[in-house]
Amino acid sequence: MSEDKQKLINDAVEKALSGDADAVNNIEDRVTRAKAKAALVKAKREQPKKEDSNDDASKSDEKEQPLSDNTVQKVSASLIAKFPKSLDGEQNSDWIQLKPESWFEIAKWLKDNPDFYFDSLQCNTGFDLGEGLLESRYNLHSMKHLHSIEIRIKVSVEKPDIPSVESIWRVADWFERETYDMFGINFIGHSDLRRILLPEDWEGWPLRKDYEEQETYHGIVVPKVKEGWE
Amino acid sequence: MGLLENRFDDNVVVEKLDKLLSWARSTSPWFFQFGTACCAIEMMAAAASRHDLMRIGIIPRSSPRQADVMIVAGTVTMKMALRVKKLYEQMADPKYVVAMGSCATSGGPYWQHGYHVLKGVDLVIPVDVYVPGCPPRPEALIEGLLKLQEQILEGRPLTRKTG
Repeated sequence: MSEDKQKLINDAVEKALSGDADAVNNIEDRVTRAKAKAALVKAKREQPKKEDSNDDASKSDEKEQPLSDNTVQKVSASLIAKFPKSLDGEQNSDWIQLKPESWFEIAKWLKDNPDFYFDSLQCNTGFDLGEGLLESRYNLHSMKHLHSIEIRIKVSVEKPDIPSVESIWRVADWFERETYDMFGINFIGHSDLRRILLPEDWEGWPLRKDYEEQETYHGIVVPKVKEGWE
Repeated sequence: MGLLENRFDDNVVVEKLDKLLSWARSTSPWFFQFGTACCAIEMMAAAASRHDLMRIGIIPRSSPRQADVMIVAGTVTMKMALRVKKLYEQMADPKYVVAMGSCATSGGPYWQHGYHVLKGVDLVIPVDVYVPGCPPRPEALIEGLLKLQEQILEGRPLTRKTG
């Protein structure tokens, strides 16, 4: 690039940054104009960083926290006020750990409360944590406020009962059926809690860590039988 | 030589009825149109215009009653195995089975840990031709079907089996 053009671009970018938006658009040569636009974008991207580093350090503490963390902390703060004793163990800024007992009321409140308005259950999945503990995790999202949180509920293998939220989020119907199918977590109050993927007369819960597959299914051998194929 | 010599006009071929029947069968093994997984895509490609199974007399039929060949195209889960068996039983004799792809022949990638996958469709129904591949290309399927045609041609439907 010739020095003239480089100078032209630099001038245009400087003008644009100081408020004259047409400075770049008025460049006649198409290629030079494109280069000037690219330079302008780059300059704009670098600008706020410089201001940040120059500004006082006290403000940056507040800015460091992302929005999602704020949501979790906001929700858990109001949860403690509204449903004391509903939180389970130590909390952190990534998810909310709940006890199963009052989950239905909390879910209803999370959906109806205008401050949070979690109208979308994006996912429900199960976990086998080992040591006789199962966990059900819910990812909630608000279409209105565009924020999201994760709820985790631990239950024991001996009594894997969690209230169903099917009547709150309709989509939970099949989510909970799948979690039931794979982990054997009972969703109390679900209208139609059957296996969804596996056949109805299947034995056991396949994604639990202590799962052992059954020998036969309707006379068909289930484990691998053809020796010498590997 | 023999009894039949010079007894017929030109353009007449004398053969066993057995061979005529198996020839007729081998040139039109219509297959049952259903797929259980990704192999079905290759089966569709084989039946479509580029590979054109129709030129060797093979066309898909949508009902097991009208089909001679069942191409098991894809993973067969335990839940599906009972249905596959039922569909096979609904087909009219003579019937043949082609196990297409790794899953249908041996369980494929679900061999070790797939608790829900049938380890080869031959545990449920008798298989005539195995086509390896994951999934096999249409050429491989056509090769398998040609092998099946050879098998049918060798068959003797009218000859009483001994033993």
